Amino acid sequence: MEAILGYFSSLNPAALLRAAPGGIAQGLVWGMMALGVYMTFRMLNIADMTVDGSFAAGGAVCIMLVLNGCDPSLALIAAFFTGVIAGSVTGFLHTVLGIPDILAGILTQISLYSINLNIMGRANQAVNVNKVSFYITSNVKVLGQTIAVTGVFCAAAIALLWWYLGTQHGSALRATGINEQMARAQGINTNAMKVIGLALGDGLVALSGAMLSQYQGFADVNMGRGAIVIGLAAVIIGEVLGQAFLRKRLNLWLTLLFVVLGSVIYYLVYVFVLWLKFPADDMKLLTAVVVALFLAVPYLRDRKKNSFRRLTRRNADSGKGA
Amino acid sequence: MKKLLALVLALCLLCATAAAAAEEFHVGILQLVQHDALDAATKGFMDKLTELLAADGDTVVFDYQNAQGDSATCSVIATGFVNNNYDLIMANATPALQACVSATGDIPLVGTSVTDYATALADPEMDITVGTGINVTGASDGVDGMLYAKMVMELVPGAKAVNVVYCSAEANSVVQYEAFKAAMAEIAPDVAVNNYTFADSNDIQAVVTGAAEGVDAIYIPTDNTAASNMTIVSNILQPAGIPVICGEENMMAAGGLATVSISYTEVGTLAGEQAYKILKGQSEVGATPIAYCSQPVKEYNPEYAEAISFTVPEDYVAYAPAE
Repeated sequence: MEAILGYFSSLNPAALLRAAPGGIAQGLVWGMMALGVYMTFRMLNIADMTVDGSFAAGGAVCIMLVLNGCDPSLALIAAFFTGVIAGSVTGFLHTVLGIPDILAGILTQISLYSINLNIMGRANQAVNVNKVSFYITSNVKVLGQTIAVTGVFCAAAIALLWWYLGTQHGSALRATGINEQMARAQGINTNAMKVIGLALGDGLVALSGAMLSQYQGFADVNMGRGAIVIGLAAVIIGEVLGQAFLRKRLNLWLTLLFVVLGSVIYYLVYVFVLWLKFPADDMKLLTAVVVALFLAVPYLRDRKKNSFRRLTRRNADSGKGA
Repeated sequence: MKKLLALVLALCLLCATAAAAAEEFHVGILQLVQHDALDAATKGFMDKLTELLAADGDTVVFDYQNAQGDSATCSVIATGFVNNNYDLIMANATPALQACVSATGDIPLVGTSVTDYATALADPEMDITVGTGINVTGASDGVDGMLYAKMVMELVPGAKAVNVVYCSAEANSVVQYEAFKAAMAEIAPDVAVNNYTFADSNDIQAVVTGAAEGVDAIYIPTDNTAASNMTIVSNILQPAGIPVICGEENMMAAGGLATVSISYTEVGTLAGEQAYKILKGQSEVGATPIAYCSQPVKEYNPEYAEAISFTVPEDYVAYAPAE
């Protein structure tokens, strides 16, 4: 009993509050990646495994360019196009060579491990943060600026995606994801749509990797490991929350907004779990449990409201009234 | 009632003055991943710092966090530490230190288990013998590559080929491989030195099996992934009868023949001493030279030696597990 009380008294609520801004900043950085995953996973209905590789590729390209004197903003743009290339390769493997989408993504992902090592020359490259100033940095003094800049980036990405997916071209891409046969019957070049979607998605993922590498001041060949899991979790948390709060008013741009929020929430959960000081070995398990709770609660609540039992009861009531 | 109040107030005052005399320091510890060597460094650091501060009547509160090998998590933890405004942060392993450096330019950072500070901090002009000049200092786990090269040639004098096995995802290991190769080129230019790298623990078996072909000795630097998987490595190399020279003691104990032993506890202890001086205002963090372990010891693993029927020279110390 004493041990439990001691544990709770050792937790400092103020420390949780102070750790939150770091979580928000990192959540926004990964929000860009979640948008990329949303593009492929929801719009194209492809679980794109390339992202683990393209995320690190974005970071690697960005850091190496900055080390060689390139402007950090230009390096972000270059990183985006690196991702576009990676996504196109996956698209090529899938559409032209007929490799199943998951496998095509995995092939690009593992090849990117070697490519990233070659880009960086070794496993880990750091930028001297005292000599190069980034707009996106984990330096706590300017964390507010970082949150603002990443927020603007995500907002711009949401706006562009929303605009693009509303055009005729974007609608064709969405149609491909919803019903490929039907889309092809309408004269849509579904293969081209898949390549474009993958390229765009991986471009955003690589941009996110580049933002993270600036944020933490270094790129590591392992930085994308498990990125797809974070991306999918963010997408699903965002969708669930969006549906819970807005129900039928949840349109496309709000969904995109909630996907970014989902990523922020994922990282806040992470901060919370770290704050709980659980044994480090159980960290991932606990994070998974908390995320699962997020997913389950709205679903169970909905089910309670819309259960068949209630429907039959309602029918019985109306039957009596008639 | 008034008397009681006065008593309480007096007690509070007493506590306050006592607290002012004995300072309480808050130190964050960010460790990249859990394995014997890093754990030993963290423990050495905590024990030394607690001991030194206790001698002055001060206390220290540690906030220990482990990033589970994920560099992005390092940033989350680092920004949390900095926002808590800790007096000092200890960063255990390279990505942990880099994440902290990015998060703060003010709070003193003390690194451990970082081999090459100039590379980790991306400043090749840095002279680590006088200090980094920024808010970073620490203790290195680096050992001169020449010591390993000499050990290989001493143990296997007629060696023709020596392979170096490490994880391609670890920057520190490449540095050590290059230092070893350069040292070998100097003392034994005829010996072929090749590197065999694996991407993660899944590839180790295949890579080590490949590295064992037609080789006289294998050198494994202080590589985190290899350190976590020494049992697999040993299961392949021991039946093949290959002498394995490891980067550090814990790896050798788990499945190697010999090592130039630096103790990670000592690396942590050195960092603990640096941290103490910085906290007490006795030295300035940027002007504190990077610390190196004093006297590396040549050590061997009797079990492994017996299994491959190998006799080591007499000046090697037999490894005995700590009680």
